[in-house]
Amino acid sequence: MRILIVEDDLSAAEVMARGLSDAGHDCLLRPDGLAGLEAARGGAFDVMIVDRMMPCLDGVGLVETLRRDGDETPVLFLSALGEIEDRVTGLRAGADDYLVKPYAFAELVARVEALSRRRETGSVLTQLRVGDLEMDLIARRVHRSGREIDLQPREFQLLEFLMRHAGQAVTRTMLLEKVWEYHFDPQTNVIDVHISRLRSKIDKGFEHPMLETIRGAGYRLDA
Amino acid sequence: MPDERDAPAAGLLRLFRAAPFRLTLLSLALFAFAGAAFMAYVYVAAAGEARRRTDAEIRREADGLVEVYNRAGASALNPVLVARMAGERRFVYLLMTPDGRKVTGSLAESPVEDFTGAPAWIRFSLSGPGPGRSPSTPARGLQLRLSGGEILFVGADASDDRDFIVTIVRGLWGAGALVVVLGIASGLLVSRNFTRAMTGLTDVVAKVRNGDLAARAPVRGAGDELDQLSEGLNDMLDRLDRSMAAHRHAGDSIAHDLRSPLTRLKARLETALLDMEAGRGDARQALRQALDDTDGVLRTFSAVLAISRLQAAGEAPNAVLFDPAGLVGDMTELYGPLCEDKGLEIASDIAAGLTVRGNPAFLAQALANLVDNAVKYTPAGGAVMVRLRRRASGDAEISVTDTGPGVPERERSRVVDRFVRLENSRNLQGAGLGLSLVAAVAQAHGGRLELGEGPGAYDGSGPGLRAALILPAVA
Repeated sequence: MRILIVEDDLSAAEVMARGLSDAGHDCLLRPDGLAGLEAARGGAFDVMIVDRMMPCLDGVGLVETLRRDGDETPVLFLSALGEIEDRVTGLRAGADDYLVKPYAFAELVARVEALSRRRETGSVLTQLRVGDLEMDLIARRVHRSGREIDLQPREFQLLEFLMRHAGQAVTRTMLLEKVWEYHFDPQTNVIDVHISRLRSKIDKGFEHPMLETIRGAGYRLDA
Repeated sequence: MPDERDAPAAGLLRLFRAAPFRLTLLSLALFAFAGAAFMAYVYVAAAGEARRRTDAEIRREADGLVEVYNRAGASALNPVLVARMAGERRFVYLLMTPDGRKVTGSLAESPVEDFTGAPAWIRFSLSGPGPGRSPSTPARGLQLRLSGGEILFVGADASDDRDFIVTIVRGLWGAGALVVVLGIASGLLVSRNFTRAMTGLTDVVAKVRNGDLAARAPVRGAGDELDQLSEGLNDMLDRLDRSMAAHRHAGDSIAHDLRSPLTRLKARLETALLDMEAGRGDARQALRQALDDTDGVLRTFSAVLAISRLQAAGEAPNAVLFDPAGLVGDMTELYGPLCEDKGLEIASDIAAGLTVRGNPAFLAQALANLVDNAVKYTPAGGAVMVRLRRRASGDAEISVTDTGPGVPERERSRVVDRFVRLENSRNLQGAGLGLSLVAAVAQAHGGRLELGEGPGAYDGSGPGLRAALILPAVA
């Protein structure tokens, strides 16, 4: 995946680039908004990571310009501003996700990969399939190896999100944000319990566990 | 500015420059103008009145003489005139033959020229002997023709009238001067008081500008606009002071409470490095520990920051009107499996149709903290009840009741403070910021956090805690 990182804190940007390269991505670094805009116009990127506060042209300006030009490349905002209204302005400017500094690197990778996936699944799906796990989005039914799995509505939403991001790590905060639609840092292992419920329903009695825990990051659903 | 106050001349100058003094001068000028008009009117009226009075006296005297003449003829009039000339000094008389020659009288000749025969009034000057008569004493006179053809002139000294008018005018001038003097004096007095009060205010402003937030403007107790201004200023300074204190306190707390975990982290990293250099221990394990510590520090940091910002803002950002039922349901549902795992029963009782004004994300976080606490402190076999209801006052109340150990009454106000954790909770994770954040969220929404006793002893534990987030009614 080709990733453009626009960040004026160079040491942070290099650590980020190294980590993302280790995860198998191709990274290009730009130190300010104008250089970032130039790079974004020049090459096709799968995801852009944009710092909110930068010299020359700030993140909001950069994303607004790109969106005006019709560039729909997914953008992840990085910001030291964590207030809810900051988040709202960021997303309103056209960013697709928002991550507050300091963040866990796993969280960044998970969100970047989730963003690239979002673009691929632009068309409306009626059916999701991961390995032998099938989800019918219209009938709201789930089968694994032909056996029907009975899920609560929230468990269904949780599994849907995991299936849409199959093969990717998703973090607890991402789940709380995307499935419950609340933006706060869950203090306890409240999400973990939901996952283990879901896991007991989809993995119990099957030889191959699909829902795995990734230490320090979150969870991954894989065939 | 202080040196300006030291010199008396400069102080006086300042007094003259003061706004109320200028206003006094202006009103004084207007008053003087009105006074002058009044004086002119009084003068004209008084002068007219005095002349009318003199004329009436002359007319009466002349009428008396004419009566004598009509009754007894010119021969009788003559001795009367002589007698009156000797006794009555106020009047002058002149009796003339029909062709205008003097018969008898105290004047050499009539001041009336071109006498037509019709009664004629004249203003003239008297000279000659008489008490207090100056060479040109003002006088009025009436000349008329008697029935026998003789001409009679009766005049009167009008200097009394002039004296009367002069007295009035002098009185008016005196009153005017008194008004001006009193006006200036009262202007100075008012402006001195005003300046004094203003000095109090400007002093406070100057002190605050120099960083002394404890300065307060004097309130004189007069209840006037200046007092209102002082009270407003003081109130503003109180708020500012409180807010600054909160910030300082936040800064101190952050410094204090991040220092210990950071010190711990540093020690752990140093130990890990030593162990690694000595070839013993598991570096990976140490790094993981260090990362966990860092997460803890960051979590504390963002919680403290969120609390401080809420307290500083004094209001919930991006507040909207919404029905909290969904939020309460969501949080109950979110914590359902966790409770079940811990062997706790969780139930909710959610009233419909309430409206609150607030930031859903902050309120969700606050409620999550309350449920989190309940789950954390309630032993297995207990219960957690989440309830949304409308109070009799109309306020919305979101409460979480558990059957845990509760919080002793004397500790309740303390646990809301930052970083306070009760003795029996030391072994549980958390920085002791949960309830502080809830309280900050409640306050930012114009509401409050109430801590009370739960349902009482239950299943060997208790009495439980009832934490209620109260949000003001939306009209």
